[in-house]
Amino acid sequence: MISSLIEAIYRAWENFRERPFGRMVDLFVARIFRGGGDSDSEGLDLGVGLVLTLLAMPGGFVSLLLLNKYGTFLQWLRGATNVDPLAVALPDEYFFIVLSMTVTGAAAVWRWDAIFPDRRDYMNLVPLPISTRTIFFANLVAVFFLAGLIAFDVNAVSCVLFPTVVGATQTKFLFFVKFAVVHAIGVMLASIFAFFAVFSLLGLLMAILPLRAFRRSSAYIRGFVVVYLVGLLCTSFAVPDLLRKVKGPAPLWILLAPSCWFLGLCQSLHGRASPVLTELSRLAIPGIAMVAAIALGAYAVGYHRHFVRIAEATETTAIVLAPRTSRLGVLLDELLLRTPFHRGCFRFIGKTLLRSESHRLVLTAVGGLALVLSSQALMDAFENSRSLRAAALSPDALSIPFILSFLIIIGLRIIFEIPVELRSNWIFQLMIDSDQQECEPLARRVILILVLPWLLLITFPAYGYLEGWAVAALHTLLVVAWAVLLTNIMLVRFRKLPFTCTLPVFKQHSIVVLLSFCFGYLIYAVSTPEFESSALGEPLRMLSLVPVAAVAWYIPHYLAKNTIAIERRLIFEESPTQTVEALRLSD
Amino acid sequence: MLEAVHLTKRYSSLPAVQDLSFSLRPGQVLGCLGPNGSGKSTTVKMLTGLLQPTRGTVQFDGHNIQDGLAAYRKRLGYVPEEAHLYPYLSGWEYLELIGTLRGMPRNDLAKKIDTLLELFSLHPNRHASIGSYSKGMRQRILLIAAIMDNPDIFIFDEPLSGLDVTSALIFKNLVQTLGQQGKLVFYCSHVLEVVEKVCSDVLILRKGIVIAQDSVTNIGQILGQSLENTFLHLVDDVDTMNVARDIVTVMKAA
Repeated sequence: MISSLIEAIYRAWENFRERPFGRMVDLFVARIFRGGGDSDSEGLDLGVGLVLTLLAMPGGFVSLLLLNKYGTFLQWLRGATNVDPLAVALPDEYFFIVLSMTVTGAAAVWRWDAIFPDRRDYMNLVPLPISTRTIFFANLVAVFFLAGLIAFDVNAVSCVLFPTVVGATQTKFLFFVKFAVVHAIGVMLASIFAFFAVFSLLGLLMAILPLRAFRRSSAYIRGFVVVYLVGLLCTSFAVPDLLRKVKGPAPLWILLAPSCWFLGLCQSLHGRASPVLTELSRLAIPGIAMVAAIALGAYAVGYHRHFVRIAEATETTAIVLAPRTSRLGVLLDELLLRTPFHRGCFRFIGKTLLRSESHRLVLTAVGGLALVLSSQALMDAFENSRSLRAAALSPDALSIPFILSFLIIIGLRIIFEIPVELRSNWIFQLMIDSDQQECEPLARRVILILVLPWLLLITFPAYGYLEGWAVAALHTLLVVAWAVLLTNIMLVRFRKLPFTCTLPVFKQHSIVVLLSFCFGYLIYAVSTPEFESSALGEPLRMLSLVPVAAVAWYIPHYLAKNTIAIERRLIFEESPTQTVEALRLSD
Repeated sequence: MLEAVHLTKRYSSLPAVQDLSFSLRPGQVLGCLGPNGSGKSTTVKMLTGLLQPTRGTVQFDGHNIQDGLAAYRKRLGYVPEEAHLYPYLSGWEYLELIGTLRGMPRNDLAKKIDTLLELFSLHPNRHASIGSYSKGMRQRILLIAAIMDNPDIFIFDEPLSGLDVTSALIFKNLVQTLGQQGKLVFYCSHVLEVVEKVCSDVLILRKGIVIAQDSVTNIGQILGQSLENTFLHLVDDVDTMNVARDIVTVMKAA
């Protein structure tokens, strides 16, 4: 019966696809997944299957991690024998709501450019015998379909695993079913809300701003949304406790936090809502209706303003201001970028970071994450200290430049791997001598130029003012030394010009690399500031870091020295390493 | 018959095309020539209905095309200047998409696509993604997409861009054959020899204004010169030899 139902659905879908409207919906769904824009570059095109898997992973992982909390045997070992599962699950329920909003919102931000039909769609579809209204509705159906698909995909695993984990403490199957249904309603609606909230923001900006202003501001607004989403995720550790403490009417900050509405909805459906949560639950459905209505209206206006007029926009000649030679550029050329290769490629890297949408987006996301973690550290520093001076010497405050520099260095190293218009890299292949080993020094200069100035300009004066110049000099020296050493480690065997090489394939050791990043973060941004906090009182203790620094300096130096010439040659193709290579002796 | 009646297009207050009128009869192959910025692309976009004229109309069989754009476009095959294709679709998938959107009968579609891909030497690459195609291959895909529904009007905007010699020759013969079969062909190009060879009539634009419109033979006879010299005489105020000499001088400068 199920197979015949699936077959019937498949047949209906195939029939729908065969009609022009269905084909357009299919096309728009594919283009949203595979990327819009006029570029043919590979960019971050990961394919539909991999994107859906990546989106589903966070919910799955978090559910599995909760086994530790809800495992009956472990609870028994902890002496917790009479546990109310609904009360215990409230913070986790809130976390899943926030997680689903963050992942869905991030997916919508990632595909921001592809949600609206663009010039390529215009040139392909408008000359065909289809009205622009049909194109409008086909894209709208695709957007609605995707909102549903992403909401389902992001939450599918947690909708099964989380209720299973929580229900494991209960003997009644009905508990599992009811918990699963309520959880599914809460997280799916939260996902849909997040998708439409991002979509309505995009539509509103397109409707209000002129096209050029929209394009210029787009990456920054997306970065802001990503920071907001990461911040929202960080609230998950504090909000459930704060909600429990609220007595009387809900304060404004709770009313303005959509994640609380959906928690309220879940608790109301469980029949366990406090008056505050009941009040909040009433906002969930009207909230979704409102963002969907705004999204629809803004989409219609934006479509009319931008898509229907694309032909006119492309004909208008843009007024471009002549580039100016900046003094900073001249100074950099004289002091740091002494070869023509360094000067030319440094400008290429800088302009790509500033102008390429995907690179700006990743950079903004990394910067946003760094800011969120730093603000959290700053808040912890003030919370645990009595005075400003005491707070400044706490491990939390000392960790801020370490957190920022670690994430920016790692972020930049990752961004260097993302290609931009691979078809255009022929110019580098033609002009650069492959045996010229200047890419690694260039990448190091770029990273350090982007990291060191603000470390010196902010950390040194701030600590000089608060703790005296000796402490400031020691702290700044340590941060700078660590940043330089980390940069060296990150650039071991780096032999490509940033952005000109194909995207590296997922390798088996990628998980090890990921774990190394986490481990590195602990050493770099947690253990070092802790040690520094205790050592700043007796500065001589800082000398014990010298051997560590010497080892960290020597290893990359040794590896670089012992690399054979062929492995130092500049590459433009990231070909996968073959585990087994056929010799083809019979050929 | 396709008619442009006093077509004018302004961007803000900047005129791109001014008071352009011409007609295109069945069997006629009208070439459109002009230097960069002369209004060729704007004219093409108004003829396809992508742009609405500020003043004037485009009429097909006596009706304003804006009154029934979908019906008009069903009878139109268009090759744009730039090949904006979906790189993640294969050539076959792209053509199948266009065929479906044009409402072509499904049972004939696959066969027709295969045959056309074979004739344009793209059959071996039909399942490769367009992203991996060369410029010439993309151009051939655009050409197939334009002709596959057997339309009555053809508008070609720089159709030979990137094509190899054989494909270009096939295409030139195709344009002449289409003209002989009573189709309407509007052919925009920079390549004067091609226009001279395949077009029966020519329209020369300069700064959005028609400066000459006649049959290819008549235009040449007026000045007793080849089309290239006539074009230069009519359009360009630039002494091309002098400019070439100046370029070499700048190249040699330190």
